Amino acid sequence: MKKIFQLIVIALLSLSVLFGCKENKLKALIVTGQNNHNWEESHIILKKILENSGTFNVETSISPAKGEDMSSFVPDFYAFDVIVLDYNGDEWPEKTKKNFEKYVKDGGGVVVYHASDNSFPAWKEYNVMIGLGGWKGRNEKSGSYVYYNNRDELIRDNSEGNGGEHGPQHEFVIEIRDTEHSIVKGLNKRWLHSQDELYSKLRGPAQNMNIIATAYADTSYKGTGRHEPILMTIEYGKGRVFHTVLGHVGSEKVHYATQDAGFIITLQRGAEWAATGEVKQQLPEDLPNVGSAFLLPNYKFYTLDELFAKAKSFEYGKAQKYLYLISNRIREAKGGSEKLKDFENRILKTMQSDDATSECKNYFCRELSWMGSEKSLPLLNELLKNDETSEMAQFALTRLQQQ
Amino acid sequence: MSKNRLSRRSFLKKGAAATAAVSLFPTVVPASVLGRNGAVAPSDRIVMGLIGAGGMGNHDMRQFLNKKETQIVAICDVDNRHLKSTKATIDNKYGNKDSRTYRDYRDFLDNEKLDAVIMALPDHWHGIIATTTANKGLDIYGEKPLARTIKEGRTIVDAAQKNKIIWQTGSWQRSVGNFKKAVELVRNGVIGNVTRVEVGLPNGNASIGTPPIQNPPEGVDWDRWLGPAPKVPFRGVLHFHWRWLQDYSGGQLTDWAGHHVDIANWGLDFDQTGPVSIKGKGVYPAEGIYNVPVEYLIEAKYENGVKMTIANAQYFEDKRRNGIWPNIGAVRYGMGTVWYGDKGWIHVNRSGLWASKPEFLKVPMSSLKTRIYNSTDHWQNFLDCVKSREKTVAPAETAHNSISVALIGEIAMLTDKELKWNAKNERFTNSEYANRLLSRPFRAPWKMPSI
Repeated sequence: MKKIFQLIVIALLSLSVLFGCKENKLKALIVTGQNNHNWEESHIILKKILENSGTFNVETSISPAKGEDMSSFVPDFYAFDVIVLDYNGDEWPEKTKKNFEKYVKDGGGVVVYHASDNSFPAWKEYNVMIGLGGWKGRNEKSGSYVYYNNRDELIRDNSEGNGGEHGPQHEFVIEIRDTEHSIVKGLNKRWLHSQDELYSKLRGPAQNMNIIATAYADTSYKGTGRHEPILMTIEYGKGRVFHTVLGHVGSEKVHYATQDAGFIITLQRGAEWAATGEVKQQLPEDLPNVGSAFLLPNYKFYTLDELFAKAKSFEYGKAQKYLYLISNRIREAKGGSEKLKDFENRILKTMQSDDATSECKNYFCRELSWMGSEKSLPLLNELLKNDETSEMAQFALTRLQQQ
Repeated sequence: MSKNRLSRRSFLKKGAAATAAVSLFPTVVPASVLGRNGAVAPSDRIVMGLIGAGGMGNHDMRQFLNKKETQIVAICDVDNRHLKSTKATIDNKYGNKDSRTYRDYRDFLDNEKLDAVIMALPDHWHGIIATTTANKGLDIYGEKPLARTIKEGRTIVDAAQKNKIIWQTGSWQRSVGNFKKAVELVRNGVIGNVTRVEVGLPNGNASIGTPPIQNPPEGVDWDRWLGPAPKVPFRGVLHFHWRWLQDYSGGQLTDWAGHHVDIANWGLDFDQTGPVSIKGKGVYPAEGIYNVPVEYLIEAKYENGVKMTIANAQYFEDKRRNGIWPNIGAVRYGMGTVWYGDKGWIHVNRSGLWASKPEFLKVPMSSLKTRIYNSTDHWQNFLDCVKSREKTVAPAETAHNSISVALIGEIAMLTDKELKWNAKNERFTNSEYANRLLSRPFRAPWKMPSI
């Protein structure tokens, strides 16, 4: 009996080695349970995003509901590499606050997400950790407004006024200010963020704070006309805080802000940075850019196989991004004939499958027209016979066979 | 071609020749004097028609409508709304109802007795219509960029030269003071030996999204608008917004290269030469129907070592912020042309002219050895040349050379590779993939006309 037990233990151990063992992953704790936002959905989204990075094991700590007795709410912060705050609610018990301060001071990691920077206006150390906060009576006593003006000067403004405001949700361009920071290194300097609340006029102690990215708060969306801080890092004792104001999740059916590829990448990388002080995650192949907001409804980047599978069912009026992302990757092949041959094979295979739409075939005819080979000719000649594909097949054949 | 029109044209040409070689026909009013004072008899006017009566076409047409020596008689467009409003503009000007409208450029060219044509079409139509018009021996004021592809541009140039027509490209900056002054200063070595040039063009903006498939507006012949371009359903992309789709245009890059690259070339005396290598990086949207680059960075090298950098304005704006681009007045926002020589730089755009040292701009123009073509009114220059048969300030071959840099840059972005370019035979020497992109296949039954 004992022997069997030992065998089971060994088997379990080897399984855990096989399946990318827990020990290698960072441990994250999402703290939520009260928020003026839809925390019931947002914390699930955050969990998915962090897990999809492959870097984290994620647990959740849900506080008592608003107005209930908080005294039992004492999460074990020390068991985690990073604490992700999705919390805007009642005061934590004093013991929990002290634990948290000590945890961060001793080198713990924190991610401050969206309305978490509204929370705890009177908790001094918390406000030092988050750098900047808003609403709930924050004003000149809370610290400075911090922003970039239109001459790119970093302004710390101590004038009187409330902290925290935002206009209607809209798409806006996020601009990296610290391009060398490991959280954002390698990303495009700017990208268009999907519709979200653009937090503005945040104010706070802003000590040891580094603004990594800003967004211009356009006055046509009731904005301040300033470049408002969007992503920040704050050093607190030996701890590291990554603060993202992005990611509104409300009562809307689709949570565009959190589906944004830029939000997802920076959250994944920011959380790793907060946990360890460095970022080992590889950048995905498809990076967000200023051309269009880039949404990932499953909170996951696409593999090439997934892109081709999606491309198959393309119809006019539906999302084109799968096709565009494939085209981008074809460009990234830099005219290298081996890579282009691989793409040609994948394209031909996709076009030959029974469920490929005419629109899909017509799109790929454009790509084949310049990067195809004689290998494409039989299929293109076949497509000539179909009214829905003959014109684009002819387009490709004309180019491929020109002298 | 009608005999009538031919005789009118030879009349004009004879008039010009006569002026040049002491008047053999004293009763003929010399073309060079036409329009300087008083009315010009209708029979002596340059008879013009317009193909492509959208915003740019109307702008150009109004310039000619205000000249005394022209008579606009007909317009052609695939949108009835354009025809109606443009006809009203013409008839209102002349106080009659005489101007004629066409939906098919072939009917327009066959039925009208014209001297010259104004052409302001989406780029994908330039090749076919410009070549057909040139083959008919008509002079052309044609909008930039010259063509959508290198091969179409080459055909237009050959057709213009073979038919000995007068061609003026709508790159009107060549007739504007600050641009000409910048070019002359650079040409005369005021900033020393020029080693590089930077060209800032507008940023892309893909805000059109994914409009639904819809019926074309009443009176629009969508199939004819598409013409040689692939057949796609109508999605509201028509006037103006066609620039954001590769089938019709290369975006802000190919729209504006015809201006600021054109000026860069002029300053470098590069109107007859092209790059030897080019590389490019474009940023393309991930969603929406806009598929031209929203950001672009193209670097071309020339045989004499000069480097040309073409980028969207934000690229230079970022450099300015970091203190490595001129930081004065309107030089902000990254637009225009900057030449760098071993003594300093000169920057020109539509807002003005700047230099690294103010004295560069104070050099008396009369002291300069090399003087450039002096046109002060781009549209008048065309009319003057129609009469004199001299070259315009922006002939087809110059426009082809200017837009070629952007077109091969676009190919470098699509293939994302440093390409070697033979400007003489207009082929890449290190990529057959890239060579395939030098032309675009036309949808049947459209074909490039032979010359």
